[in-house]
Amino acid sequence: MTPDENADHSRTAETSSRLFELPPELAIDAEVARRVTVGFIRNQLRQAGFERALLGLSGGIDSALVAFLAAEAIGPERLLCVLMPFRASSAGSVDDARTVVERLGCASELVDISPMVDGYFGREPDPGAAGMDGLEASQLRRGNFMARQRMCVLYDRSVTWGGLVVGTGNKTEALIGYTTLFGDSACAFNPIGDLYKSQVRQVAAAVGVPEQIIRKAPSADLWPGQTDEAEAGFTYPELDRLLFWMIDKRRTDEELVAMGFPPATVERVKRLVATSEFKRQVPPVAKLGPRTTGVDYLYPRRRPGSARR
Amino acid sequence: MKPLRIALAQLAPRLGVLEENLARHSALLTEARDAGAGLVVFPELGLTGYQLQDLAAEVAMRRDDPRLLGLAAETAGLSAIVSFVEEADDHRLFIAAALLEDGEVRFVHRKLFLPTYGLFDERRFFAAGDRLRTVESRLGIRLGIALCEDFWHMAVPETLALDGAQVLINVSSSPGRDLAAINEVGLGTAVSWRTLMRTYAQLTTSFTIFCNRVGMDETISFWGGSEVVSPSGETIFSAPLFDEGLYIVDVELGDVRRERIGLPLLRDERPELHLRELRRILAERTETTLEVASEPPAGHRSKPKARSGKSKAQGRKPRAR
Repeated sequence: MTPDENADHSRTAETSSRLFELPPELAIDAEVARRVTVGFIRNQLRQAGFERALLGLSGGIDSALVAFLAAEAIGPERLLCVLMPFRASSAGSVDDARTVVERLGCASELVDISPMVDGYFGREPDPGAAGMDGLEASQLRRGNFMARQRMCVLYDRSVTWGGLVVGTGNKTEALIGYTTLFGDSACAFNPIGDLYKSQVRQVAAAVGVPEQIIRKAPSADLWPGQTDEAEAGFTYPELDRLLFWMIDKRRTDEELVAMGFPPATVERVKRLVATSEFKRQVPPVAKLGPRTTGVDYLYPRRRPGSARR
Repeated sequence: MKPLRIALAQLAPRLGVLEENLARHSALLTEARDAGAGLVVFPELGLTGYQLQDLAAEVAMRRDDPRLLGLAAETAGLSAIVSFVEEADDHRLFIAAALLEDGEVRFVHRKLFLPTYGLFDERRFFAAGDRLRTVESRLGIRLGIALCEDFWHMAVPETLALDGAQVLINVSSSPGRDLAAINEVGLGTAVSWRTLMRTYAQLTTSFTIFCNRVGMDETISFWGGSEVVSPSGETIFSAPLFDEGLYIVDVELGDVRRERIGLPLLRDERPELHLRELRRILAERTETTLEVASEPPAGHRSKPKARSGKSKAQGRKPRAR
């Protein structure tokens, strides 16, 4: 290692401790991660025969990081960031998203999803397509519906923009299933899906995502004041550490408890991971014919002839 | 001995696009020749890409495939190691590395160890080779050629050295993973490989060449970092991580003799002892298998089930208690 690289690392570590808590076992070389993910975006697009990309920019750290990586991979002029607030979304989220767009100099579009959501669930006192019951819809139903409306908008814009939808979900939320199936998890490819939230923060700091975005409490922003950590009941550093030892390092429950993780938390997180298995896999197909996709018809997604042009 | 100029072709093959990869190999051979190289090393499956799955059968070539012979024809006065999917007469598919020299296919090594765990699924698509031989090169030295996982088994470099190799060559498609915080290169895989290559070079007192690809297949990125290590275990050259390129390295082949005179590890190897003990171990394993097979039915009290299960899993003879 050269002295320069040393300096870089200590600077990154310093930035990390100032902006967020980083469990030591989750520390990664952010420059290597940046290099791999940027190459991944470029490669996925090239192999599919696309030059452009788009993503939903919420104002949170995950989509901000992916926007930075995509802009680096293909140039900001080939990137479209779509802002899709609901009327109850916090104004701060839209402001932060705009900051990212300005910083990158990429194209952006704002699509207010309120009429789409209201059209279905209705708005007091008028019922929508879902009927009277829609007015009483739970936060869960509304949240999932909003996530899927955003997916619809992105896939529609992918046609007008002529680009692929880049995923912005991180490893932590994918593992515990804190995502909406065919909603925020829908994408053509995902460059950060193998990075825990704590690692997303590190890479975000390294590529220059604005500090206020790195610093603020992560939120699905489905209702005012909602935060991920309040909803889940544990902090990201705690959860990331537990998942890292449980999944990546294959520790048993007994070993995890011996390491100091509360037994109730271990039990609960294990359940979250197991019950969300279906969200991480392609829907199963009943095996009938001699050769079945995903079972014994196994081709790379991208191969000669698979590109659009 | 005269110096040897090595060209490491740290390239990014296009997955399944054989014609394009052949053309790229051909262009790099020319570039290497112009740079005065005597030996050009291409990475594992450089002609086809790695993550082939069912495409393997579609890009397979026999040893006498005109496309491979065409590439060989470009090696007059040159030695090149290229890697491809080989289809045997009986239609088994192998991951193969060929030594092309003076216009012909001189030698083919078939990958012996096919990783089928973690992110690897090679055994599903390929047959494993069963021969480990060195080859006399036109360069006046014996080469020991191996493919990626082959070098995660100590017997391979050891056997090649005992068979007379002065230069061990490992061509790889090693996927980068295990992003590590602050270590030598920020990538767990790279650190492991560097350790292995230095260790093998030193223990076999041979030059060790590692050529790893770059670029991406599907979701995995290959990290490059090709290296040449001297017979004393010192790294002579390390290619950058992830950067495609043709890297030129000069080595002094006389270093092999100097090192082996000064540190006669190979002279002191005891293959007959190794062979004897291996025979014993194998015999004991067979014996254990027989014992387990003839074990009394479950429920027999004097021999707890867990115990016999364990000794079977480990393939060891239960020790006398």
